[in-house]
Amino acid sequence: MNWPTVAVELALCAGVLGLLLADALLGPAKKQAIWKLALGGVLVLGGVLWWQRPWIGQTFQPMAAGQPMFVLDAFAWTFKWLFLLTMLVVILMTRVFTRRSGANVGEFYLLLYSALLGMLVLVSVHDLLLLFIGLELLTFSLYVMAAYLKTDARSIEAGLKYLILGSVSSGFLVYGISLLYGTVGATDFTTLRDAFATGQMSLVAKAGMGLVLAGLGFKVAAVPFHLWVPDVYEGAPAPVVALLSVGSKMAGAVVLLRLLYSVFWPVQAMWGGILAVLSAATMLYGNLAAIPQTNIKRLLGYSSIGHAGYLLMGLSTASPSGAQAVGYYLLAYLLGNLAAFFVVVVASQAVGSDRLEDYDGLSRRSPLLAATLFVGLLSLAGVPPLAGFTGKLLVLLATVESGRMWLVAIGAVNVAISLYYYLQVVRRMYLRPPATEGSPEARGTGSHTIPVDALTRAALLALIGGILLVGIVQEPFLRVLSAAIRF
Amino acid sequence: MLSTIPILAVILLAPALGAAVLCVVPASRADWARRIAVAATSVSLALAVWIVLDYDRTAGGYQYEVLIPWIRPLGIGFHLGVDGMSAVLVLLHALCSFTGVLISYAIKERVKEYYIFYLLLITGVFGVFTSLDLFFFYFFYEMAVIPMYPLIGIWGSDVKEAVIQRSRHSASASMAAAPHSVVRFSKEYAAMKLTIYLTAGAVIALTGLLWLYVSSGARTFDVVALQQHLGAFPLDARRQRMIFPLLAVGFGVIAPLWPFHSWSPIGHAAAPSAVSMLHAGVLMKLGSYAIIRLAMGLLPDGAVAWLPWVAALCTMNIIYGGLVAMAQKDLKLIIGYSSSSHMGYVLLGIAALTPLALDGAVLLMFAHGLMTALAFALVGHVYDQTHTRYLPDLGGLGKSLPFIATCGVIAAMASSGLPGFGNFVAELLVILGSWDRYPLQAVLAVLGVVITSVYMLRMVRGVFFGTLPKTFTHVQDTQTSFARLPYLVLVAVLLFVGCWPRPLVRLIDVSARPFISTFPRPPR
Repeated sequence: MNWPTVAVELALCAGVLGLLLADALLGPAKKQAIWKLALGGVLVLGGVLWWQRPWIGQTFQPMAAGQPMFVLDAFAWTFKWLFLLTMLVVILMTRVFTRRSGANVGEFYLLLYSALLGMLVLVSVHDLLLLFIGLELLTFSLYVMAAYLKTDARSIEAGLKYLILGSVSSGFLVYGISLLYGTVGATDFTTLRDAFATGQMSLVAKAGMGLVLAGLGFKVAAVPFHLWVPDVYEGAPAPVVALLSVGSKMAGAVVLLRLLYSVFWPVQAMWGGILAVLSAATMLYGNLAAIPQTNIKRLLGYSSIGHAGYLLMGLSTASPSGAQAVGYYLLAYLLGNLAAFFVVVVASQAVGSDRLEDYDGLSRRSPLLAATLFVGLLSLAGVPPLAGFTGKLLVLLATVESGRMWLVAIGAVNVAISLYYYLQVVRRMYLRPPATEGSPEARGTGSHTIPVDALTRAALLALIGGILLVGIVQEPFLRVLSAAIRF
Repeated sequence: MLSTIPILAVILLAPALGAAVLCVVPASRADWARRIAVAATSVSLALAVWIVLDYDRTAGGYQYEVLIPWIRPLGIGFHLGVDGMSAVLVLLHALCSFTGVLISYAIKERVKEYYIFYLLLITGVFGVFTSLDLFFFYFFYEMAVIPMYPLIGIWGSDVKEAVIQRSRHSASASMAAAPHSVVRFSKEYAAMKLTIYLTAGAVIALTGLLWLYVSSGARTFDVVALQQHLGAFPLDARRQRMIFPLLAVGFGVIAPLWPFHSWSPIGHAAAPSAVSMLHAGVLMKLGSYAIIRLAMGLLPDGAVAWLPWVAALCTMNIIYGGLVAMAQKDLKLIIGYSSSSHMGYVLLGIAALTPLALDGAVLLMFAHGLMTALAFALVGHVYDQTHTRYLPDLGGLGKSLPFIATCGVIAAMASSGLPGFGNFVAELLVILGSWDRYPLQAVLAVLGVVITSVYMLRMVRGVFFGTLPKTFTHVQDTQTSFARLPYLVLVAVLLFVGCWPRPLVRLIDVSARPFISTFPRPPR
């Protein structure tokens, strides 16, 4: 056994227990400060992850005989940083969010931690069973968090819908795993890959592969497994949606990368074309359906479907440059989406709703919030000099190299489509005056400036800075990612 | 001393730095914002003038190069450099942006935000004219397009367009039909239309650029290196013919090549004056410049095959644009359609593939840019004073606005192609240069000159002569010499180029002649 390879996960388990104890023992007054514990915990995890460098490339084997279930390769190590970064920002969002909702905040951070554990395990999995466990750990935490606002019917509905459709997808996944196990007789990636490499896989095994990919398709919200997205995004609390759209999608994409580029690599001719078609459908559906939306969370939900299309586009190239492009795209998507959701969290606390018309005149009410949302959305749209532009460029370039010009054309057209609805939000923030009349609750808060405290301000500025940095100084990031994304 | 600093990088980064500084200036200090913007653009202008004077005409080629490897795995470098053609365009942009910043003193609300977006726009355009790397070319191109959205959407104004009777019935929800076959377009509609058109064009061009990059096999985005590589290992002619239309249409949208022009007059008209100046004066030239530098420079066989189509379409620009301009009543729309008409001459000059016509095309970009900038600045002043741009409501302003009226007559004369202005020289070169290859188009282009003088003279008469409506007794001319400075600068340069075009034409010719000589002789 090679314990240091799982040090981060073990430390996180300790963190979960610590938060559980803190939630049980601390008095109600002190519970409001529990975010400090959670935030500090993530920083400690960062330290542990840094300490793990010497063990990069090693594996963890629970049983002496047999194949490793868990690997800490450069790929896993690099993406674990991105998950920690996501969690850091989400905790800062939750801090703003829970100021209103009051009690039981301890549980919320506990669930965030268990979701993080799921993501950290997922990026290291080397066995289908562990993959299933990691995925369930992540999604179970998200089911509960999605329904967290117990007094809000929409939140309950979101949790229930997510639970039902998520269970269906887990069913797909497990069924696929069982088919693969049935034909190969093993669940670890090395044996599976060797079996696929023989080129004599039965139809049953191929069906198993399809079902596993379908189960992961739910996680990244690709067409035709996207149906849960809009309602869940609209109803669930905003920090949860941020985690769902960034963390969960990134975890799905990372697992897809690992599966497609190692286990299923020998049959790339089979999945490349299918992913290309799904990618085109996903981009077009997500971006076109986002146009008529009037709720910012729903809009971002459809936009996240559109981005899943770009991720699939990079994956469909079945080339190393495509995989690296997906990595860069994920980094850019993470920054842009977190920036956007942070603003949604702060603004919806101040305004009391997620309707787009409540963003009228946001640039007068809080220039920083408007600027952050502006930069975040334009980065998602792929406008230089922001991060999203380089991500899109790399994905398109890899697809041109793969020779699918029709897919490039669809991807390029979708840039213009997505810009249209992102600019609709910009239009409200910058072109429209703040609302002075309207619903009674809007009248109360209609044209006041929105207070933004110092820590939130710093986080927003850091996100803007990160988007600019990743968009302008691409080479270091590209170098790290291309060193990591190698199978 | 100047040879040791990277002049082009300073020209490019001065406005960007200005925008960055503005972000931390308090919003209440509008005067600081204005001064910072003036300072930033003055630096660029001074250095642009220096480059045009200092460019080594005997050596030719790209000069003042800056090359910093940027994304080495992909062969992307931050490569700046100008040749004779782009040096002239850099000067044009520096002049337009400097005068534009001065004209922007009329902006009174949300000044800080305005200048941030304006300076970003200026940076983007400088970047396009100086970049010698496909990646950065596109990078700056898109960076120049996006600020137009808030600039038009926030500080712009709604537009009344005259339309033929039939299309009124199909007016959609965004254009509320007004009486007398006039359609109102909201500024939000104009801004969105412009941004989406230009972005759609940009991504089409990007597809072409990426395809070109991959097909060449050189693994470099560097224009110079790519050109050398393609010179040694030419791309399959069939592939060239497939990629060229992507670039020509993609960049043609902003040029604006008919029938992709419809964003442009409305966009010009809805934008605030200083933005229209840059927009019509410089932004449209990005398209024709990109077609010269990238589409033709990298795909010569594709160009020879497709340029006759461009020549055919640009005739539509000249004639159709001119006729529509005649029908308009909104001053800015008249100039807007006139711009799209005049850009037809530029495209014709490019399509002719002779050194003479290309000299004329680039010179016309320069002269037309200044003329249009002047015209939009003047309309801006008239609009500020009278709060209308509607031709039937105006009249007799010549007496109360003597300075503006003088400049207006000069702009109209320049636009109509009267001798003594750069436009005359440039249009003459274009028509002479394209006569051999496209006689029909050249004849139609001469007809276009007549059309231009009709609507320009009608506009001058309608605004400055006749009787002054009683409501306009309070109108004021420019008061201080500082307020007159932008107009004077533009008029002076226009006259200078008209009377002594030789230095500029020689500068353009240094690069245009070798450029054209790389093309195979077109079949007669």
